[in-house]
Amino acid sequence: MMDRAKCLNDEQIFAYAQRLLEPGEEEKARSHVEQCSVCGQAALRYQKLDAVLDEWKPVEPSDWFDARVRAAVASNPSAQSGFTFFGLRWAQVLAPACLVMLLVAGSLIVLRRRPAHLPQPATQQIAQPASATSVQVEDELTLYENLPVLEDQDYEMLSNFDVLSKLPRGEKRLAN
Amino acid sequence: MAIDQDLELMLLVRQGDAESFEVLLRRYRAPLVNFFVRMVHDRALAEDLAQEVFLRVYQARHRYQPEARFTTWLYRIATNLALNAIRDRKGSVASNGFHEQDSESEVARVVDGKPVADQQMMQSDRERIIREAVEALPEKQCAAVILHKYQDVNYRQISKVLGVSESAVKSLLFRAYESLRERLEPLMKEGQL
Repeated sequence: MMDRAKCLNDEQIFAYAQRLLEPGEEEKARSHVEQCSVCGQAALRYQKLDAVLDEWKPVEPSDWFDARVRAAVASNPSAQSGFTFFGLRWAQVLAPACLVMLLVAGSLIVLRRRPAHLPQPATQQIAQPASATSVQVEDELTLYENLPVLEDQDYEMLSNFDVLSKLPRGEKRLAN
Repeated sequence: MAIDQDLELMLLVRQGDAESFEVLLRRYRAPLVNFFVRMVHDRALAEDLAQEVFLRVYQARHRYQPEARFTTWLYRIATNLALNAIRDRKGSVASNGFHEQDSESEVARVVDGKPVADQQMMQSDRERIIREAVEALPEKQCAAVILHKYQDVNYRQISKVLGVSESAVKSLLFRAYESLRERLEPLMKEGQL
């Protein structure tokens, strides 16, 4: 006579049918299920369901799948290992070198663009020969002599600015 | 043993061995594509996602630590991608009801009226019924069933893939199979399955 008190609950029967039990538990469940028609029927129902689920057949990946994966991997930056230089990749070597080159180039550009009329350091001025100084003074005089003199119209225009409105008019300027 | 081979291959990939990556690609291309086809029900998207898994494996090769099985790591990446894709696509799939296999079976119906086509049609209908039953499961139950039933991933691995306890995996699977039984058993009795 089968002892119904030892019957498995649905979850245990399912775990048995799906082989989810630990080896000791599985053996115990098997010996009961093989003798108990109720539990045996319940286990069979899960096995039939499992067989039905098998009808969902697998598909084959498309022919171009592998090629796509290879292309994706190849286009990945980390895939482009390149050459190594004493254990370092080229990128690791070149990055600091490029940075140094950029700094040098930037400095050169700044120095070249520096305006020529900026006052020279005092030490350099002292070191210049007298002839060079006189040439420079003559150049500056020529520059000031060629500056256009403001006409009356220019004063009219400039006096529109608040700050400049107190500028002396042409007559006063001439009188002075 | 394939499991140990996978670990060895991945360690070789980590050292820059491209051929080992090729071996892993050939070994897991079909399982991964099928996993995604069953999860997202869209073949083109499934292939995109499978490709993404391989790319992520490659990108993470330097960080790879052989602590767990390779397949556990692989399916953890795959499951996360699949669940995200399902969440992203939920609205659009529900609204247009698109299923590639549905459209294929419609073509078979229209083009050919021969017995072979009828058989194919019946097979495709059975697959559709099963697919819809699995698709109707909550996300984690669906993933657990697909990993357990179709990908041959054991419940200990599934617990690591889904980030739940082993007993929770057994419970997820039990509830999933109960739902499937409720839905499919009447059709089995009617002879549709």
